[in-house]
Amino acid sequence: MNRGRFINTLFTQGPLIGSRLVLVVLLSGALIGMDLYLPYGDRVRSWLMTGLTPVYWLGNAPDRVIEWGSDLTTSRSDLLQKNKALESRLLVLERRAQRYTALAAENARLRELLNASEKLDDRVLVADVIGVTPDPLTHEIILNRGETDGLTEGQAVLDAHGLMGQIVHTSAYSSRAILISDDSHAVPVEVNRNGLRAIMLGTGERGRMELAHVPDTADIEVGDLLVSSGLGGRFPQGYPVARISSLEHDPGEPFARVEARPLAKLDSSSLVLVVFSGGAATGSAMEPESAREED
Amino acid sequence: MVLRSISHPVAIVSVVVALVATIALFPQQLAHWRPEWVGLVVIYWVLRAPKTFGIVMAWVVGLLVDVLRADILGMNALAMALIAFMVLASHQRLQLFPVAQQALVVFLMIGLAHMVVHFLHQVLGETGGGFDYLLPAVTSGLIWPVFRVFWDFVNRKLE
Repeated sequence: MNRGRFINTLFTQGPLIGSRLVLVVLLSGALIGMDLYLPYGDRVRSWLMTGLTPVYWLGNAPDRVIEWGSDLTTSRSDLLQKNKALESRLLVLERRAQRYTALAAENARLRELLNASEKLDDRVLVADVIGVTPDPLTHEIILNRGETDGLTEGQAVLDAHGLMGQIVHTSAYSSRAILISDDSHAVPVEVNRNGLRAIMLGTGERGRMELAHVPDTADIEVGDLLVSSGLGGRFPQGYPVARISSLEHDPGEPFARVEARPLAKLDSSSLVLVVFSGGAATGSAMEPESAREED
Repeated sequence: MVLRSISHPVAIVSVVVALVATIALFPQQLAHWRPEWVGLVVIYWVLRAPKTFGIVMAWVVGLLVDVLRADILGMNALAMALIAFMVLASHQRLQLFPVAQQALVVFLMIGLAHMVVHFLHQVLGETGGGFDYLLPAVTSGLIWPVFRVFWDFVNRKLE
């Protein structure tokens, strides 16, 4: 019987595999062309990504188990201590928020005097990072929120410290965001101190960004805070992005070499915020205490 | 030992495990060295059950890898199909090779498939130079003996 099976499988290959390979190569070529030049690629990717949700879930499972385990084994005194630390931190933040509401109201009044349109506060949605794109050359993360939560392409992603990136692809239950450090990404920023505008480019390294085309005479210093300028319409205005880390004036070069370090913890944040600009969020998005409430 | 059969549950589980391992369970700092798990699974099953797990099947699995890697659709699909083709074209010989020689062939096959993908990426202007893209082929070849023994063991337990 074994012999029979052996002989059976001995002659499986034939002219068929050659023609199959040709078929599959043509199919791949068509698919590559479609993905590059036609809009259907995104939809196919979206379906497949939705189908692959269990794989993403399983890929994230070890981290969740570790987290669960450490939650389970935390001692009572540790918890109490942590709780106390969080409470004091909450107090500090609440005090800051009190001042912030007054300032926001004042700002709204001043803008009214200037006849400028009122700035709306943004709504945000909390999302978990459930994966990182395995290609080490691209900086992308996978989030556990998707179209069913109202996410769309182009939304800004923040963590607690600053701007992280933007959503580039969504499926039903997950989405993919590109980080600002990816070498194909750029953010329009301005220096917080004086409003000087610049474009910040990712370099492919997590902790280093570059400012493009900064004139030698520009008023910019090491330590300056860069915030998103809102130009270009992708990122909402006023979120901290990076801090200038080095500055080099080379007389032979037309522009200064300016490097910055991103404020967001690009490789370690596991909770991120997705911003809905102008308040176009679904019901599950969190309501911020917006300046409008005071009016 | 000629083991030539496919157990569908084991095949499905191995593919899912390989897909998960493609995106997780590997330190981020060493990401360049991540073995081509799906390629290994494809080689394993084509070698074992060339009738059931062929070029088309490998292509479909490769398409899922494209989505997971956020690559251009069709790239990894093409690579997996090429690997399956190479295994199919030589599986009678490959079966009889000692394990070390098999590992070398695995390295060559995965390396060749990655070269084609890398070439296409470069033509489309998607990636830079360097030979880093061959590192997964090296680790895949190194891990092949263990990989093969492990899935042979699982298959024998469940047969």
